[in-house]
Amino acid sequence: MYEELLEDIAQTNGLREVNTYLKLATGLGAILLCLLSRSFVAPLYIAAVLTIAILFLARVDPKTYGELFIIPLWFGIMSVVAIILVSGGGEVYWSWNPASWFSLSVTSVSISEGFFIFCRVIGGMSALMFIALTTPMTDLFVVMKQCRIPEAVIDLAMMIYRSIFILMNQLVQTYQAQVMRLGYGSFRESIRSFAILCGSVFIASWEAGEDFIRAMDARCYSGKFVVLGENRPIEAVPALALAAFLITSSLVVVISGSTTLL
Amino acid sequence: MSSIILEARDIRYRYPRGMEAIQGISFHVRKGEKIALVGPNGAGKSTLLLMFNGMLKPDSGGLLFDNEPIQYDKTSLRILRRRVGFVLQNPDRQIIAPTVFQDVAFGPTNLGFSEEEVNKGVRAALRHVGLEGFERRPPHQLSGGEKKRVAIAGVLAMDPDMLVFDEPTAGLDPSGSEDIMDLLDELNQEGKTVIISTHDIELVYPWADRAILMLEGRILQEDVPEVAFGNPDLIRKARLSMPTLLELYGEISRRGLELPEQKPRTVLEMMNALDIAFRTGDKQKSLGSIVVGDVDLLDSGKLCAWQAAHPHAAIGAMGTRAKERAVHEKLTLDFTYGVIDKCILHALRGQDSLILTTGSMAARVFTRVEEYSKESGNFILVVSL
Repeated sequence: MYEELLEDIAQTNGLREVNTYLKLATGLGAILLCLLSRSFVAPLYIAAVLTIAILFLARVDPKTYGELFIIPLWFGIMSVVAIILVSGGGEVYWSWNPASWFSLSVTSVSISEGFFIFCRVIGGMSALMFIALTTPMTDLFVVMKQCRIPEAVIDLAMMIYRSIFILMNQLVQTYQAQVMRLGYGSFRESIRSFAILCGSVFIASWEAGEDFIRAMDARCYSGKFVVLGENRPIEAVPALALAAFLITSSLVVVISGSTTLL
Repeated sequence: MSSIILEARDIRYRYPRGMEAIQGISFHVRKGEKIALVGPNGAGKSTLLLMFNGMLKPDSGGLLFDNEPIQYDKTSLRILRRRVGFVLQNPDRQIIAPTVFQDVAFGPTNLGFSEEEVNKGVRAALRHVGLEGFERRPPHQLSGGEKKRVAIAGVLAMDPDMLVFDEPTAGLDPSGSEDIMDLLDELNQEGKTVIISTHDIELVYPWADRAILMLEGRILQEDVPEVAFGNPDLIRKARLSMPTLLELYGEISRRGLELPEQKPRTVLEMMNALDIAFRTGDKQKSLGSIVVGDVDLLDSGKLCAWQAAHPHAAIGAMGTRAKERAVHEKLTLDFTYGVIDKCILHALRGQDSLILTTGSMAARVFTRVEEYSKESGNFILVVSL
């Protein structure tokens, strides 16, 4: 059951040592350009560049990356199919009118529109993946602090972050113990086991909270939690790479204008 | 004899609902001592330890730290907890921050140190436990032994006088346990008082200055390890097992061989006793020598030259920094725990050895070997590299 978490990949990725702001600017800039573009070309270009960066610069395992893409891709495909069938205009290739108030059709404009949205999904997904796979949460805390987010919020976020992994461990252990004793053999049994699992994790989280306070007390807690390391310095090569990426993407957005597939 | 740092006077403690966990305990700990608290599960070891830094308050009786009764107001507790570092059995419950750096910096920051002092303290603490370069790693990605080291570093960063460990070797592999015991030795050598609770008799027997046997909330026996662990009745009562060396000693003396009065605590002392018993110590045989290298003063060239001149010599390292240096120099270490004794054993077989170590530990090698030479009549040469 234990799966490699996104966070674990991010902690060991090849772009770990690059300044966090540069990575965030890459991802957020890419999303913005995907939304601004009126053509399918720019999102595809962005998706290609970022995928290459994720696979070759961040050295994320291609199989893992592919698997991560599958779930959002399914959502994308389903919505695109709906859009193609519902919207209309242009040359009609196929249509079906079962009732006077209901019709489905595939037209040249609807295909172009669907493909455009599909490319946007891919572009946006790759940008989000880029942030998730290259920027670990621990680095984001530093950014949060620098963005003046209230300390109480960051403290809480950090405690939650630390607790997630402890509770996750507890969850996995309890689940395995149940599976070993055939806890999920039948449907009835599954429901019963799941209830026990929830209960035991709830108790574990309660205890973890108490331990947390005790551990903090034992180390002279006086209200200060936010002590953060430093951000990495902005280096020339990554900064230039980011600039090149944003400039070429912007150019693609401008040049492609509102080019459509059909 | 140095002064008393911790004293308990007839302390008692009862958990909110349940039996009395501590039923009247009195003892004292001197500065710079290594104390082992042993006993079966539920003997009250952990409860007792939690009183040392004021996490639990005894129902009756008094606890004195540095000859002052422990006060339970907030300010006094902060001072006490700064001076008594506590390392829990489960490092996952001790590590609270999302990265190693943040966790180690937690104590010093809350003590109000300046940013520069915090950085310096954290770096020194991580260096001490051999985790340099781990600053930005999240704790959940570390191995059990590494997590334990982070927990220890978090406590060391507050520079305590006394360190309390609840089961420091629980859940670690044998080599990891030995590394932790060696680290405790190193800390003790730097003047810190160390108190541990454990079930691992074999590991603690040569290590501790004194052992306290506990059973059902009481102290069963309190003495030097060879006495505390030497009584079969008490050992059985406390649900422990006798250290192999003591068992061997008993077995051999029952065979009628004459062994020295002083019971052996290490394999070396055992061999020495046997040597005397059999009178086979061949005085003609030439002995090997021990060379001591201080890694802070030693340059690589000299080390390589020595190694080239003595290709068959064994190499041991004491202390974290010495071990790191050995890794750095790509040396294969023959000994990493109980190094001095193993080198003496080596010398007795006529072979040379090199001990890599730092500062005060180097002096310890000289005194230990000279002590041994005097005791056994086997003169072993020790020199600095």
